[in-house]
Amino acid sequence: MNTFYFEEIEEGDELPAIDFFLSKDGVRQFAKTAGMYFPRFTDDEGARAEGLPGMIAPGVMSLGLLARMISDWNPAAVVKRIGTTFRSPVLPDRNVHLRGAVTQKNDEDHTAECDIWMENDDGERWVIGTATVVLPVKA
Amino acid sequence: MALEFDRSIIGQVFDETSFPAVTTEEIVDYALSLGETNPLYIDEAAAATGPYGGLIAPPTFVSKLRAQKFTPEHLPKFGKFGFDGGRDLELYTPVRPGDELVMLSTIHDIYEKTGRTGSMYFIVIRNEVRNQKGEKVAVIDHRIMQR
Repeated sequence: MNTFYFEEIEEGDELPAIDFFLSKDGVRQFAKTAGMYFPRFTDDEGARAEGLPGMIAPGVMSLGLLARMISDWNPAAVVKRIGTTFRSPVLPDRNVHLRGAVTQKNDEDHTAECDIWMENDDGERWVIGTATVVLPVKA
Repeated sequence: MALEFDRSIIGQVFDETSFPAVTTEEIVDYALSLGETNPLYIDEAAAATGPYGGLIAPPTFVSKLRAQKFTPEHLPKFGKFGFDGGRDLELYTPVRPGDELVMLSTIHDIYEKTGRTGSMYFIVIRNEVRNQKGEKVAVIDHRIMQR
């Protein structure tokens, strides 16, 4: 984890990727802490009863994970805006990849616009979004 | 199908929910369940010497707040199925332990989009979150898709 300054980033910079195995237990843990302990997020049978292929991760978990990627990139970054579109259900028990890139630097307010997304092993983007983050400036 | 409904429902507050005071444990558990290692969110002692003088919640923490009534009673139904289309957060004052948050809900917008597979309807529900000092904490837009 390292803190860096607005002056040190460039448009096109990639945020450090996070690649991990999204376990069912991990999703249940999130569902519990987020007050979303509902069948669709906790067990396959309950989810199938709701017409889903199996248990899914809450959309707001993907949102939270993408915000964590920004926090890992620069713990001093302040997220002013973050928006995500849930394009397809996120199914646990498989690998997910969090990715991001700086698309624009705004000198007047020291913000960076970022594209952020979650994809699977086949490169399908399950969740896409953008964020505006404020970065510290050199004194 | 033309998009016909009573537009007066847009912008009307249909729910106000007050939440019990946010606890340190709740913030730390939430952060850890996302794999956060940022001391601002998980380490009280380290956060005390940081820019906020104490622990704050990760920006997406507000997305766990649930209104008592998620939609108004007379929400028009445009389709058979509803999907969670996405979430947009605008963030202002950070959430801290002890905060007593209040959330106001309105229908922000209703619109139609026509694609390859026919028409889809989007209902945007807006939650505005404030703290006990009256400071604006966040504006959260839920995009609900119906088809």
